[in-house]
Amino acid sequence: MRIIQNTLKMMFPIVLLGSFAEVIKITFLTSSGYIATLFKVTEWLPFHSDLAWIMGVIYHCTIDMIALYGAFGAAHFTAKEYGKKTSIAGALGLVAFLIISYQPTGVGMPDFNHQLMSEGLLIALIVGYFCGRITVFLVDAKKEELFQMIKPASIVIVLASILNMLLGLIGKLEIPTYVAGFVMQHSQTNALFYVLGMGILTNLLSWMAIGGPFLNGPSFSDAPSLANMNAALKSGSAWNVPFKFTDTTLYHSFANFGGTGVILALIIAILIFSKRTDKRLVSKWSIFPAIFNNNYPMMLGLPILFNPIYLILFLIAPLVNMLLAALLLWLRWIPAAAYPVPLGTPGPLIAFIGTNGNWLTLIFGVFLIFVDVLIYIPFVKLADEITEEVGQSNEEI
Amino acid sequence: MKKFKLWIWTSLGVILAVILIVVSLQWSRNNVSDLMKWHNSKMSPVIMIPGSSATENRFDQLVKKINKNNKNPHSLIKVKVTNDDKLHFTGQIRQRDNEPIIVIGFENNRDGYSNIKQQARRFNIAFEAITNQYRFNNFKAIGHSNGGLIYTRFLEKYYANYSSRIKIKRLMTIGSPYNFNEKSVRHRTQMLSDFIDSRKELPSNLDVYVVAGTETYNSDGLVPLGSVMAGKYIYQGQVKHYTTISVSGSDAQNSDLPQNDQIIDLIKRYILDQQETPKNPGRQNGTDLNNRQH
Repeated sequence: MRIIQNTLKMMFPIVLLGSFAEVIKITFLTSSGYIATLFKVTEWLPFHSDLAWIMGVIYHCTIDMIALYGAFGAAHFTAKEYGKKTSIAGALGLVAFLIISYQPTGVGMPDFNHQLMSEGLLIALIVGYFCGRITVFLVDAKKEELFQMIKPASIVIVLASILNMLLGLIGKLEIPTYVAGFVMQHSQTNALFYVLGMGILTNLLSWMAIGGPFLNGPSFSDAPSLANMNAALKSGSAWNVPFKFTDTTLYHSFANFGGTGVILALIIAILIFSKRTDKRLVSKWSIFPAIFNNNYPMMLGLPILFNPIYLILFLIAPLVNMLLAALLLWLRWIPAAAYPVPLGTPGPLIAFIGTNGNWLTLIFGVFLIFVDVLIYIPFVKLADEITEEVGQSNEEI
Repeated sequence: MKKFKLWIWTSLGVILAVILIVVSLQWSRNNVSDLMKWHNSKMSPVIMIPGSSATENRFDQLVKKINKNNKNPHSLIKVKVTNDDKLHFTGQIRQRDNEPIIVIGFENNRDGYSNIKQQARRFNIAFEAITNQYRFNNFKAIGHSNGGLIYTRFLEKYYANYSSRIKIKRLMTIGSPYNFNEKSVRHRTQMLSDFIDSRKELPSNLDVYVVAGTETYNSDGLVPLGSVMAGKYIYQGQVKHYTTISVSGSDAQNSDLPQNDQIIDLIKRYILDQQETPKNPGRQNGTDLNNRQH
C-alpha cells in the first residue's frame, strides 16, 4: 500500500501538469473543444496551433504515458521498501513495461501499445512491483552492484518479452460499440439497468486505474445518440427521443461532473470540510482540470486510486445521480440530452447544452452536485481521521 | 482577511459560471437551429466530377440534355478548384430548385494516381464548402472517367467526416478505369489495391451503378472494359446494391459517354430523384422509348 501511495505521490506533479496541458489543448485550442467553440479561440489567437502543439507534446508525454511512470515508481519504491538503495530497479521497471507494450511496426521508430500506456496503470504497478521484488531477491547490497544487476535484468527482460508475445494474441475488445448495440436492441428498462451497471463498472475500473467502458467523453456518434439527435431535430425538441436511457443521457450528462466519480463534488466537499492542508492544496490545484472533466490530479493526488475509503462513494455518488436522472427522465420532467456537445464541456453544462438549454436540467445538475457533496462529507471526515491516526510515518518520499 | 478572499473567489466563480452558462446557451441555440436547417433541408443536389483533362464545363451538354423538355430544369453550379486550393463558383441555384447539379472541376486535372489523390483532397475542400453553403443532408454522385476514381477515393478517405449528417444516396461512375489501363485484374495497379484495402470505409447504404462504354468488345476506345469492371472488387458486397451496365452504339467512346443519350436516360432513371410532377407524366417513358433505338 505504501509503495503505491509513494508511487502516486511521485507521479502527481507530472500528472497535474499533464492534465493542465490536456485541458488547454482539447477544450481551449482544438477547434471542436468547448472554450474554442464558444469563444472561437482558434480564429483570433495568434500562434494557437503552435501552442496546441506544445500542449499536445506535454500531454502525450505525461498523462498519455502515465503507466510508464507507474512502472518506474512501483519498481523503485518496492526496492526501497525492502531496504535496497539500488536505483536500478526503477530502470528495470521502465524497461519491462516498455517491452511489454512494444508493438512491432514495419519500419522506423518503435511503436507502443497506446491502450497499455494510457490506461494500463494497474498493470504497470504490478509489473513494477515484480521488477522491484526480483531486484531485491537477487541483489546483495553488500557486494559490488554493477555486475549483480545482470541477472535480474536478464530475467525481467525475458519474462517481459514473453508477456508481450502473449498480449499480442489477445485481441482488442471493443466495449463501447457493444454497449451502443445493447441499448439499441433491448427494451428501455433493460437498457437502463445495463447503463447503470456499465457506469458502476467504469467507476470501479477507473478506481483500479484501468480504462472502463465509458471512459471516453460523449461522442454523439454512436447509433442510439444519432437516432436521438435525428428524432430531436425532426420534432424540434428533445422531449420525444427513442432512446431515453443511454450512456450519453445518463452517465455522461449527470454522473461524470469533474470526471469519473463526480470528482467536482469531492473537491467542493474537501475544500469546505477537510482540515488537512495537503488535501486542500491538491483539491485547489485540481479545480481547473476538474471543471473540464479531467480527474487525474485528484485520482493521484489524494490519492483516490486503490484507496478503500473512497471506493464505496466513488461508486455510490454516480449511481445516485444516474438513478435520480433516470427518474426525472421517466417522469418527463426533463428532456434527454440529444444535441451534440463540444469536447470538454464542463460536466453540469453537458445536459444543459445537450437539451438545448433546458433550465430545469441545469438546476437539477447543480442539485445533484449538492447531493453528492452531502454524500462525500462523512467520507472526507473519515479520511481525515484515518490519515491523522496513521500519522506522519509515510510522508517522506 | 481570509473571509474577504473567500468572498472574492466565490463571486469570481459565480460570475464565470454565469458567463459560461449564457454563452453556452447562445451557442447551443444557434447550433441546434443550424442543425435543424440541415436536417430538414429538402435539397438533394447531384454532384458531378469530370475526368482527367476536362474542366468544370465538361457536363454542360449533359445538363442541357437532361433539362430539355423539363419544366423544372436543374440549376447548374460550377466550382473550379485552383492549385492554391481556392474555390471559384459560377452559376446560382434557382429558387425552389431542390435538385441542382453541382460540377466540381480542378485546375490540375492531369491523369495519374498521385494527381487523383490530390484531386480527391481538393474535392473534399470543395465538398465541405458547398455543404456549408447549400445545407443539404443527402446528395447523388456522378463521376466520369477519373472522376469516378476521385469519388472512390473521397468515399474511402474523407466521407466518414460527413457520414453522420450527409448521406450519399447513389453513385454512378461512367467509364471509370478502376485499374487504369490494365485489361486484367491479375495486374493490379497500386490504386486498385489501395481502393480494395479500404473498401470497408465505403458507406453500406449506397447504390452504385458502374457504367461502361463499349466501342469494341473489350474497350470504349480508351479504357479497357476489364478496368471498368474491376470496380466490382471494390464495391460489390460492400455497398447496398452494385450494378454494372454496359452501353454500346454511337457515342459509346469514353469521351462521348457524358453526351450519350442512353446514359442520360440512365442518369434520369437511376440517379435523379423521381419528380412527382403529374404535369408531364409521359416524359420518362417517352424518352425511354426514343433512346432504346440505338
